[in-house]
Amino acid sequence: MAIRDIIEGKRRWRAHLARVRALPPDYQIAYKEIQRYLFKAGPAGLAGEGLLAGIVDFLAEGAATGRGVLELTGNDVAGFCDGLISPSRQ
Amino acid sequence: MDDLTEMLKGTLEGCVLEIIGREETYGYAITRRLNALGLTDVIEGTVYTILLRLEKNGLVQVTKRPSGIGPPRKFYALNDAGREELAAFWEKWDFLCSRIDTLREGGR
Amino acid sequence: MNLRDIATGSDITREWRALDARARQLPTGYQAAWEQIRSHLLRYSSFTGRNLTPIFDGALGLLEETAADGREIHEVLGGDIEGFCAALAGAHGARTYRDRWRSRLNRNVAGRLSRLGG
Repeated sequence: MAIRDIIEGKRRWRAHLARVRALPPDYQIAYKEIQRYLFKAGPAGLAGEGLLAGIVDFLAEGAATGRGVLELTGNDVAGFCDGLISPSRQ
Repeated sequence: MDDLTEMLKGTLEGCVLEIIGREETYGYAITRRLNALGLTDVIEGTVYTILLRLEKNGLVQVTKRPSGIGPPRKFYALNDAGREELAAFWEKWDFLCSRIDTLREGGR
Repeated sequence: MNLRDIATGSDITREWRALDARARQLPTGYQAAWEQIRSHLLRYSSFTGRNLTPIFDGALGLLEETAADGREIHEVLGGDIEGFCAALAGAHGARTYRDRWRSRLNRNVAGRLSRLGG
């Protein structure tokens, strides 16, 4: 949707995807589903791009500690996402 | 105190259970009780949605009584499941308070 | 309610008309709030809208009760009617598109991670 329209085709987006591909397989799965959700439910445009970049930062940091992705996000991945979109509305 | 809404979330249901546990009562009276307690931000609409949830979850017994003016009023009393839920709430509350106090006092 | 009613949705029309008639009895400020509640709650509508009538009925009941007590609508619902409606719908188990996206996200992650194997 809107986020993708703005970003797609740009170098920044390719660099972003490259960082995703560098994550362990379980992290990539979780990231892709998170991204799919946020394309629909998250903020559009630059805010959305910043959000996704921040999530990859967070995931990359967690992956470096050798934990599973659900240990980071919890089983309620949607709850994790909503906390990022609107910290006051869980 | 105001601006407590976020922090109150999740504990307000326990407060409502406690009030109902004392005596059978209705939404507006519960709201006023909470307001009198100093939780001035709590509005009846919020209490109404909590009561609805308690009813759906089978924790309260609901009785409709004529109110003199207007439509009949729903009165709420705790049933056995509700009393169990209330006991569990206080247990969680005590645990949480003691952990957070420990943190505040710098202990472990 | 018979099958023909269900098929044509005329049972719903009838119920909603009855709700409207009740709403028209409310004080003016309450009617405005009712309009807002209605439009917010419509987001939680199922395909037929049949899931909403008990929610509408309950919310209208609250308004009738508080109006009869002579209270101001703002005192009852505060400023956040949208939040009130979300809590209301949540208590009734009604779901928005967003709720469905949320469950799909959690389900997909759990499913694909389990297929990935430990």
